[in-house]
Amino acid sequence: MFEVIILIVALIVSLIIVIKAADVFVDSIVEIGLALGISEIILGVTASAVGTSLPEFGSAMIAILTGSPDVGVGCAIGANVWNIAGILGISAIFAGLITTQRQEVRRDGLMAFLTTLTITAALFLIGEISFVVGVVLIIMYVIYLWILIRAQKSSKDREMECCEVDKKTDLNKKTILMAALGLVGLAIGCRAIVYCTVELSIMASIPEVLAGILLAFGTTAPEFFTVLTSAKKGLNSLAIGTVFGSNIFNILIGLGIPSLLVTIPVEPITIYFDAPVMVFMTLLLLFLIKRGMKLTRVEGIILVASYIIYIVTRLTIFS
Amino acid sequence: MYDKILLTTMGEYMDEIIEHTLNLVQGDAEIICLYVVETSVPFLTPKKVKEMMIDELTTKGREILGDMAKGFDKPGITFRGLMVEGSPADEIVKLATEESVDVIVMGTGKSIVDKHLLGSVSEKVVHSAPCTILLVRTAS
Repeated sequence: MFEVIILIVALIVSLIIVIKAADVFVDSIVEIGLALGISEIILGVTASAVGTSLPEFGSAMIAILTGSPDVGVGCAIGANVWNIAGILGISAIFAGLITTQRQEVRRDGLMAFLTTLTITAALFLIGEISFVVGVVLIIMYVIYLWILIRAQKSSKDREMECCEVDKKTDLNKKTILMAALGLVGLAIGCRAIVYCTVELSIMASIPEVLAGILLAFGTTAPEFFTVLTSAKKGLNSLAIGTVFGSNIFNILIGLGIPSLLVTIPVEPITIYFDAPVMVFMTLLLLFLIKRGMKLTRVEGIILVASYIIYIVTRLTIFS
Repeated sequence: MYDKILLTTMGEYMDEIIEHTLNLVQGDAEIICLYVVETSVPFLTPKKVKEMMIDELTTKGREILGDMAKGFDKPGITFRGLMVEGSPADEIVKLATEESVDVIVMGTGKSIVDKHLLGSVSEKVVHSAPCTILLVRTAS
């Protein structure tokens, strides 16, 4: 029992370290990018997309590369289901109403759906995430990033036709040191997360993939606070955009990058249950949103109820 | 008679709030409109996200204050728009005290569920305001 408590405490501490390290890392990388003359738009778009998803990416990457691929895959897919049904559902319940714009649903919602469909189809056809699948996923992300940057550029052009501001900064040693520290914190924290998750799954006699799905509650904490806070403040685009952006990143990069280094084996239960549930949840969200370009409290309850049904089924029937 | 009125809004039901405020004015009056950019975020919110939220809320605040200025563009009314960062209830009470306003006008009317889930700025202001408050019922 004492060992379980120690592992749970270590898991929580590691999660906080990873989330804070990701924050420091993204911040420093943006500063380094600005100093190197990289466009502020490109940096802004990638930083906001990557910022909240680094804990899932790091955990999935380390898990896959250290011989626990089920934890990695479970974490990526579990995070996507939780982002939609749990985080967005809870936020809609609290905020009462989350509105969105047709253009965002068409671009980000469609891409999130295509992403889940691509990975699920690949899993059904091949049964694993191979190098070729990884290349396809990464190409899809590059295309999506290009679309985002183009959209951002045109809106910035409209806003600031008169007054271009040069934000180029000087590169200093402190920024590089902070980036390195952030990266080290991420690596150590993610390794500790994976270790604690695997050990806890052995003690609780639950499959590693299920442990990965449950781990997603922790790694998605930045998304949870971002979506809930922005929904409560009425920043609806940020709320919905964070969920779609994170879901796209988790699959295309979170599973795409590690599959370039090693073929990722996937358990049949993930192929035939978890991945289709992820597609269903994405479709359900799009269906609910498309009806009036908004998510109401009732629809939030529908999403949360769907998640409860999923996790209870997963824990009881398919564990 | 209310000579100095503090008006606060988050951008909802502005027409109703403007209408009720104008009803209070008899002759000349100074209207201060306050928009508070709420900067508090939970501990684990990424720093870049917090910056993005503040940017968006600031832009929204500018638009609201611009619309309010148009709504109060009437003879005898001096309008002043202010935007500050902080906790809405605290900033409203602080400004009301500093400016010695005669009345605070703000919207109210959240459902009981919303009040419990989102909190109520007007309720907090009611308990510590230094002057009279007019709560405009803004939701059915």
